[in-house]
Amino acid sequence: MEQVPLYVLTAAGLFAIGVYGLLVQTHLLRRILAVNVIGNAVFLLLVAWAVRDGRPPDPVPHAMVLTGIVIAVSATAFALALLRRYYRDTGRVSLEDREDGPG
Amino acid sequence: MMVWWLDGLLALGLLWLAWQAVTAPRLFRSVVMFIVFGLFMSLCWARLAAPDLALAEAAIGAGLTGALLLSAYRALLVRHGAGREEAPGIAPALARAIAVGSGVLFAVLAGILLTLPGAEAPAGREALARMEELALDNPVTGVLLVFRAYDTLMEMGVLLLALLGARVVAEPLRAAGPGPWRRPGLSEPVLVAPLVALLVPLIVLVAGYLLWAGTTAPGGAFQAGAVLAALGVLLRLTGRLRPTLTNSLYERAVLVLGLAVFTAAGALGLGTEGYMLSYPAGWSYPLILVVETTLMLSIALTLALLFSGSNGFRGAR
Repeated sequence: MEQVPLYVLTAAGLFAIGVYGLLVQTHLLRRILAVNVIGNAVFLLLVAWAVRDGRPPDPVPHAMVLTGIVIAVSATAFALALLRRYYRDTGRVSLEDREDGPG
Repeated sequence: MMVWWLDGLLALGLLWLAWQAVTAPRLFRSVVMFIVFGLFMSLCWARLAAPDLALAEAAIGAGLTGALLLSAYRALLVRHGAGREEAPGIAPALARAIAVGSGVLFAVLAGILLTLPGAEAPAGREALARMEELALDNPVTGVLLVFRAYDTLMEMGVLLLALLGARVVAEPLRAAGPGPWRRPGLSEPVLVAPLVALLVPLIVLVAGYLLWAGTTAPGGAFQAGAVLAALGVLLRLTGRLRPTLTNSLYERAVLVLGLAVFTAAGALGLGTEGYMLSYPAGWSYPLILVVETTLMLSIALTLALLFSGSNGFRGAR
């Protein structure tokens, strides 16, 4: 399939964007988004590779990604619950200290 | 034949949306961009001959994750105030260095991934070759429930763990469960009731179809469970379901039902076929249907409770 290299490149690009966001952003909600972008990059790579041998596509990566999507949403929900609790207890939305004193 | 412009647009759109989700100046824009990113991802799965994933991504990746993110955004905003949403940033020089590093990471990854040879005998070929032995026609469902059933069983455990973890750290339940219109003195928008009356049977029908079709066509317990969970979110947001601090025995039973029934079905195989998670000869189709149905119910309730942030639901009077 000629479209496979395109999507493999896209997956690599998404991965790099996610890593950049994870390192640069300090807002925890943005970091959760960045981790999700990285996860989606891995899913995209697996599914793009599933069709590179031609059709029918390899069902094993599909099943793995399907499992991964469900795990990702539950992990995201857990992370968001942690974030809300952290915000409620500390009043902060990032792990770094504010320079202008406690918020 | 490759519709090159469609794939190209999708790829560019994905990259742009991911960039926006990660760097947009306002947090709300980031969240919305990420939801659209999920929709684009769903189109990509369809382009890459993965309709099962397209269905799951549309329901879970874009829909449910979006609802979760928006609800968390609102929770941060309500007490935080709109003007103070930004966290302290890092030094611009450091950000530039990280950008360069990410560029290098992309180049290295692309170089490795594009030249990596494929496996000589991928597991999927084996799975496809043995599909005739199964009572199913959908290879993805076959892998999920027969060839790699262990993964699926463990996944149900992870889902349960995520819910338990979220419950442990959850904020105290606020009295305001449903929208403000359900509070005394405010009436619900006039279109909500007929819309719910129309959507509820439709959603149940779609979930049932997805579950039933899962054995032969794209669909299955995950997609159906996600659609049912969306029904729970709808009922929760419109006040038809109220969050409670305690859960009923019934709810606890549904939460562990998938795990318990799947384990029991697997143990049945241990008795008759000699190894765990095999199905007794001649019984695989009905057993898989039962397992899928219970998985769907457990997934739906777990995801709906994760969204609601409550221990249980209670019907509104």
